[in-house]
Amino acid sequence: MNIDEIFDNTSFTIDREAHIVLDYDVCTGCDNRGCVNSCPARCYSWSEDEQKMTFVHDGCLECGTCYVVCHRNAFTRWRYPRGGFGVAYRMT
Amino acid sequence: MSKSYQAIVVGAGPAGSSAALTMARAGLDVALVERGSFPGEKNMFGGVLHRMPSLEKIFPDFWERAPLERHIVKKGVTFMTGESCFSTTIEAGNYDRPPYNGYTIFRPSFDRWLADEAVAAGATLITRATVDDVVRKDGRISGVSIVGRSGQLHAPVVVAADGVLSFTAQKAGLRKATFDPAQMAVGVKALIDMPREMIDDRFGLVRDQGFANEFVGCTEGVRGGGFLYTNYDSLSVGLVFHLASLRTSGKTPYDLLNAFLEQPQMAKMVCGGRLQEYSAHLIPEGGYDMIPELVGDGILVTGDAAAFCNATGLNLEGINLASHSGVVAGEAVIAAHRAGDFSRYGLSSYKKMLEESFVIKDLKLFRNAPHMLHNNRIYQEYPEMMCSFMENIYKIEGAPKQSVTRQFLKSAKEKVGLGKLLADGFSAWRSL
Ligand SMILES: Cc1cc2nc3c(=O)[nH]c(=O)nc-3n(C[C@H](O)[C@H](O)[C@H](O)COP(=O)(O)OP(=O)(O)OC[C@H]3O[C@@H](n4cnc5c(N)ncnc54)[C@H](O)[C@@H]3O)c2cc1C
Ligand code: SF4
Ligand code: SF4
Repeated sequence: MNIDEIFDNTSFTIDREAHIVLDYDVCTGCDNRGCVNSCPARCYSWSEDEQKMTFVHDGCLECGTCYVVCHRNAFTRWRYPRGGFGVAYRMT
Repeated sequence: MSKSYQAIVVGAGPAGSSAALTMARAGLDVALVERGSFPGEKNMFGGVLHRMPSLEKIFPDFWERAPLERHIVKKGVTFMTGESCFSTTIEAGNYDRPPYNGYTIFRPSFDRWLADEAVAAGATLITRATVDDVVRKDGRISGVSIVGRSGQLHAPVVVAADGVLSFTAQKAGLRKATFDPAQMAVGVKALIDMPREMIDDRFGLVRDQGFANEFVGCTEGVRGGGFLYTNYDSLSVGLVFHLASLRTSGKTPYDLLNAFLEQPQMAKMVCGGRLQEYSAHLIPEGGYDMIPELVGDGILVTGDAAAFCNATGLNLEGINLASHSGVVAGEAVIAAHRAGDFSRYGLSSYKKMLEESFVIKDLKLFRNAPHMLHNNRIYQEYPEMMCSFMENIYKIEGAPKQSVTRQFLKSAKEKVGLGKLLADGFSAWRSL
């Protein structure tokens, strides 16, 4: 299982509008960043060099892990995608 | 455009569809609102569908009607280390005769089927609709609003069946604003395609027989476990992690899943298969202590939204609790319609019926299981102890033998420590 090839296995209808929006300033001062390793779809990445958080909602599995793991409530928005968008499981 | 119903159910999972089905059969005009483009599109689980007392009552032919995969005749537990494993299995004649003790299923087909049954009974299914808030009138819940749609849906009562994060219960003020990572787990799963004959041969199955195995020790010390279930022509293989443990481990779910699939004994079981789908979902694992307020004025909370999941370590029960609580919620709404009272008092029969059922009774009985499962030693030291003990028992190398007790104590001392072993045994006994 190669997480970089998630789109080969799991189907998505990607919405241009992100359903999760982060306040990156909160992340910059974060002492934990449990979201980075815990997200099963690797949507979060932290660059130590640039001291910068990047979040991409494209491959989000809508599992809710980051919502629970983040202890600083860094989300300016955390909801499920609009109806009809997001991950689409076929047989799991 | 606004519309009115006699009841609104948010979420067409097992809880929501069971509630809608119950109400529609009693003649209520009920809306079943689901964010997926069809019910089940967003849902994953292990998984094994256990006995479904409430749906078996509604459909005496439930097990012929529902879309199922294999019935489980063989259940196993494996204690695993990086290169060894010790397994026990039980295969019972009774498991191979109706009423069967459990089936593997696929959520996109099972959930869709159950919602279709609700529609056949008269419910209105509204898909591609993500509920984003509750509507209030005179201090009580009177409907919901939907992301990207201007109108609202109105009803004197709303059933929150929107799963583990239940934003509906949150907006109604029934669940806490934040979750405790110690009460949540995440499951990741690889669905692996494999020819049917290969599965039958490899796992010793015939006809529609299935195998369900749980694993401990396969998570590199992160609190959690693994599973392998057989479908007709695929395997469901995955891991579950407690979030409080995962978030501080620095390890990622997909790396751990890959390591699990590559563990030598595991690799033999999945060899020849092809990855079909990767999925992830949360599990409310806090048990009885995690249950939110179940009833408010004009609202009831059911299923995962109410944390009705029983994770005792060997079995994970959720769909059966969800479905039963959905049916009971439906019955409470029917009673409230008869009495014309949708206040928390008018709806309170829901709580009473649940307390008398296996849902609350079982969660109460296993109230302390979540605490016991937070013992880190279960996930690394004990599997290592079991494997090293069994390995030594079968070692015949010409040196004088030690008694079995001594060998056990030796493995226990090396891997766990005797004092801890006793303490853990005691707390396990107390919590179960
Ligand atoms: C890895 C894993 C393994 C499991 N294994 C088992 C097992 O072996 N056996 C077992 O019995 N249980 C198992 N469970 C638990 C089981 O899956 C759940 O308990 C069960 O699905 C709960 O049903 P529900 O209807 O309450 O919630 P869900 O099944 O989550 O359904 C909620 C529904 O609401 C919809 N929804 C959510 N938010 C909104 C919104 N805002 N607007 C509109 N719709 C919304 C969702 O799309 C979904 O269809 C497992 C769970 C996981 C994660
Ligand atoms: S845990 Fe929260 S605040 Fe910290 S980096 Fe992650 S999202 Fe940002
Ligand atoms: S919901 Fe799950 S998959 Fe999506 S970003 Fe959060 S942790 Fe990652």
